[in-house]
Amino acid sequence: MTETSGTISLEHVSKRFPGGVMAVNDLSLEVEPGEFLVLVGPSGCGKTTALRMVAGLEPVTSGEIRINDRVVTRLPPRSRDIAMVFQNYALYAHMTVRNNMAFGLKMARLPRAEIRSRVDEAAAMLGLTDMLDRKPRQLSGGQRQRVAMGRAIVREPAAFLMDEPLSNLDAKLRVEMRGEIIRVQRRIAAPTLYVTHDQTEAMTMGDRVAILRDGVLQQLGTPDEIYDRPVNVFVAGFIGSPSMNLITARLAGTVASFGNSSLDVGERPGLSAYDGREVVLGLRPEDIGVDGAGSLELAVNRVESLGSELMVYLDSGVPGLELTARLERRADAAAGKTVKLPVDLERLYFFDTESGAAIW
Amino acid sequence: MTPIGWRILRVIAILAIVVWSLGPILIGISTSLSTQREVNAVPSHWLPAHPGFQAYHDLLGGTSGHAGGTVTEKGTFTRSVYNSAFLAAVSTFFILIFSTMAAYAVGRLRFKFGGAVLALLVGTMIVPIFVIVISLFKVLAEPPIGPSLIDTRLGLVLVFTATLTPLATWLLYTQVREMPPEPEEAALIDGCSRLKAFVRIVVPQMSSGIAAVAAITMLSVWGEFLIPLLLTQTMNAKPVTVQITEYVGKYSTNYPILAAAGVLALIPPALLALALNKRITGMLAGSS
Repeated sequence: MTETSGTISLEHVSKRFPGGVMAVNDLSLEVEPGEFLVLVGPSGCGKTTALRMVAGLEPVTSGEIRINDRVVTRLPPRSRDIAMVFQNYALYAHMTVRNNMAFGLKMARLPRAEIRSRVDEAAAMLGLTDMLDRKPRQLSGGQRQRVAMGRAIVREPAAFLMDEPLSNLDAKLRVEMRGEIIRVQRRIAAPTLYVTHDQTEAMTMGDRVAILRDGVLQQLGTPDEIYDRPVNVFVAGFIGSPSMNLITARLAGTVASFGNSSLDVGERPGLSAYDGREVVLGLRPEDIGVDGAGSLELAVNRVESLGSELMVYLDSGVPGLELTARLERRADAAAGKTVKLPVDLERLYFFDTESGAAIW
Repeated sequence: MTPIGWRILRVIAILAIVVWSLGPILIGISTSLSTQREVNAVPSHWLPAHPGFQAYHDLLGGTSGHAGGTVTEKGTFTRSVYNSAFLAAVSTFFILIFSTMAAYAVGRLRFKFGGAVLALLVGTMIVPIFVIVISLFKVLAEPPIGPSLIDTRLGLVLVFTATLTPLATWLLYTQVREMPPEPEEAALIDGCSRLKAFVRIVVPQMSSGIAAVAAITMLSVWGEFLIPLLLTQTMNAKPVTVQITEYVGKYSTNYPILAAAGVLALIPPALLALALNKRITGMLAGSS
């Protein structure tokens, strides 16, 4: 395959649906050459709409979209030099696998020999060589997914778009195809915009991750940046599994207290303004019970064993709020018992109760 | 009642329906194989004593002296069958073109008044054609351009296409609504224009519905009687349904010839219905 390296860029792109719903609100981001950028967010956050605008399947209300530095905002999909993989594969049911993959090349009027060799090459890359003469309905979900991938890569497009391509697969296959997609994308080296609602996919596949909520970009960064320094409560709660414990605590000096517990969180520049006020305290389940200067003594509500580790649900002391801790399998925790758990104070997060913005 | 009782009752009910539907056809076949003398015999009997194909011979080859009342000419019946086939095929061809595109447009594309267009189209189905038959006749007799279309196959094709396209559109519309839009979107990205994606991807996706609608419209056109009766005069355009009535004589009728014509006219639609039975019932049940 030839080396393609382009960019996808969105500048202040908005989409207002008839009826007034703002699906995407002033979205700006750039997928760099060869980059795999994951657009993630809960359902209805506008991520698929954003992708469809890049594809040209949805008209843009305002803003500009460029692919490979060419403005494509008003161009029809066929003139954008892109390929897209759909959630439900969107294969042409009446065509064989070979013709599915060759269709775009035929539309581009490539010479027959060229079409043949490109399809054969892609089929070999995806392990579809034996299935080229089958119809889509004779294939399994994973195989169909591969055909959809193959159809996209034979085109050698300037950019790839993928709309939740793995969500129709079972868990095991999904993990397998995750690696496969990354492998193929690395080889093609075209910028890829990948939409998913699954934060695991986002974290494992993305060079960078963009988190979208209600059409507004929340944060754009590498998976580590997003995990370590979430900009607000939403991102903090969305990334990480199980999700971060978020507790409203009252700050007095450097001591944050909630329920019957208190933690001396130490000096933080941003926190001084919050003395005597409430803040949202964020504590990841995996940062409890490891080691650290702080400690919490809480009653255990229930324990779930995942085999390799325990999910321990603790009574926070605040009515209706349960804390989750992820402890190693031999941890001494049983329902009804009170446990004393170390807390890594370096790994605490604070957020403004009103705006939700992170306080550093 | 016991389960067996219900079963017996059901069998009886089904038998009654079968006799009700097939009885006349069987009587028709039996009559067509009889002679006029046998048909008129008193007391009547159901089955001909010496079944023969004289009636078919007379119908297709022209009346010989003993046909009494009914006059047939060599070639007229076959011509009327040809007319019917022509009308069914050509009307269906145009109906499919228009309804497939219209169904796709109102079912998939977002445009102003799309819903109103569909409502209007479906609304025309409520109007019985006999309400507009006089104006229809006038329009065809004195069209805005060109010669009169009365007694032409073109005129009938126009009328059938206009009257059956709404039903076909509505049937296909439900299918379009159930079809996933992604394959055609993939085609748009793969380099197709809307029209090309429609022809190359959407139409094949709709093929089962199109086949069912084709069967339904062909059967409807084949069975049309009153409209062609009003709009045709000669063998130029007369379909078989109208031609059959010609075999009813003014003073007496040769029933075997009349029955033979009925039996022959029944064969093409029966074959079509048999071949596409599953698709038609599926479509009418809304689950193509």
